[in-house]
Amino acid sequence: MTVRAVLVGLLLMLAASMPAGAQIDYQRPVDVAPTEKSIGGGYQVPVVQRRPPRSYALEIIDVGVLTAGLAATAWTLLVWRNRLATLAVSIVMLAYLGFYREGCVCPIGSIQNVAVALVDPNYSISYVVIAIFLLPLIASLFVGRVFCGGVCALGALQDLVLVRPGAVPPKLDRALGWLRYVYLVLAVILAVLPAANRDFIICRFDPFVGFFRRTGMIEILSFGAALLLLGLFIGRPYCRFLCPYGGLLALLARLTWRGVVPIPIRGQEGGLCPESCPYGAIDGIRVDQGECVSCARCYQACPREARQTRGPTLVKLTKMVGGGKR
Amino acid sequence: MKDDPSRRDVLTTAARVSALLGLGAVGAYMVRKTMAHDGWQIDPELCVNSHVGAAELVACQKCATTCVLQLSAVRAVNNHAGCGRCYICPAYFDVKSAVGPDGLPSEKACPRDAIRRVAIGEIDPGDMANNYYEYQIDEKLCNGCGICVMGCKEPAGLGSIRLEVRYDLCVDCNRCSIAQTCPTDAYERIPFDKSKPVVAAERA
Repeated sequence: MTVRAVLVGLLLMLAASMPAGAQIDYQRPVDVAPTEKSIGGGYQVPVVQRRPPRSYALEIIDVGVLTAGLAATAWTLLVWRNRLATLAVSIVMLAYLGFYREGCVCPIGSIQNVAVALVDPNYSISYVVIAIFLLPLIASLFVGRVFCGGVCALGALQDLVLVRPGAVPPKLDRALGWLRYVYLVLAVILAVLPAANRDFIICRFDPFVGFFRRTGMIEILSFGAALLLLGLFIGRPYCRFLCPYGGLLALLARLTWRGVVPIPIRGQEGGLCPESCPYGAIDGIRVDQGECVSCARCYQACPREARQTRGPTLVKLTKMVGGGKR
Repeated sequence: MKDDPSRRDVLTTAARVSALLGLGAVGAYMVRKTMAHDGWQIDPELCVNSHVGAAELVACQKCATTCVLQLSAVRAVNNHAGCGRCYICPAYFDVKSAVGPDGLPSEKACPRDAIRRVAIGEIDPGDMANNYYEYQIDEKLCNGCGICVMGCKEPAGLGSIRLEVRYDLCVDCNRCSIAQTCPTDAYERIPFDKSKPVVAAERA
């Protein structure tokens, strides 16, 4: 009935805009679609052009890759104590989670989904997202921010461009570090708004996802490029000053069970060189576990470390990729 | 530093255990109401381009213009089982354009000329209007503007053309720009097992 009313209205509108006689008098010729039989001539209805969504199994594999990355980083960082190996893990993760998966799904953005899921009774998230949100946080309680150092594609990208690490004055460093929490609170507030006004700003202003997808808004791509340029001289500006998930990880990593520590030598006090850390995470000679992003540069710069662990340390190559002492 | 190491260790352990319990509680709460496999989908009954009763006769085009990809991951899809195979297809032709010498509208509706029109079945060459025509959308040319969807929707057409998310193209943004701008909230992230059935397919 309503359909007919709309049809009449449509025809009236067509008639109204008609420049006399120049137009066909359109009317739908059929009420039902013809079948193969009624069409005849051996006609076969073609397959509809649809593509199935990415299979759930593959999404579970993503979680597996993330878990393996966390475990591998924990091992290269805390057991092998090797910068190159840690870097290698992070490059593999950059290739998979960054360039292959094109930046989504990621724990940083999952903050917003979790926030909405906790507040909105009608909103639910998949097991995959829950796992991706929780796994790095749990890891950080036990082995520190291994996610930042070895798994996060955004972190790996910034770690790779760091060629001439310069120091940020500690007071400024600490002050800028609060920005992460401002961003976190803002992101959560905007995410838990009623569905119509909801906005996921972490994803909207993600500076590097455009590089992974090789397309994006020019403003965001420029922001990312600017951060990478700054990142040539200042270690991981996004991670340290903006990343809301980094902020969460930092809070938990303070309580970490194991973390980056110097090799103990009996009867000697020892520490790590503050200059070897491009992220300002070595305070005096002790590592600030909250701010350590698990890059393992300090081991590489430590002469005592080199004596103790005679692993395949290719010093020249690591200098090329921005490791080592300045 | 006169910290009692054992006491500090105990405090740290206590904080660690409570943080772990907190994370566990958050996880348990979310798992309780979780869903399995989800993705961005267009609800055809809500999409202004396709749902019956939308007053305005202008295609919305938000799917074509707001996707983060250069060429939107949304494409028009003709569900052939529900297609009327009309001689003058209101999605293929701009039925308001002037009639050409062949008695058909002189202009096509698709601004990118992405639809192919082929006569099918037992073809009657004497009376072209007496034939059925198949309308295939070239996915590589389509940008998901929805003008054809608008033309095909009821009552002008049978509503066999829909805008659908192409999952081989969609990069699955957490914050989908199309969903943000969709005027009727037809673009939503829902579990695949709760997908809305394609209405035309059921009718046919």
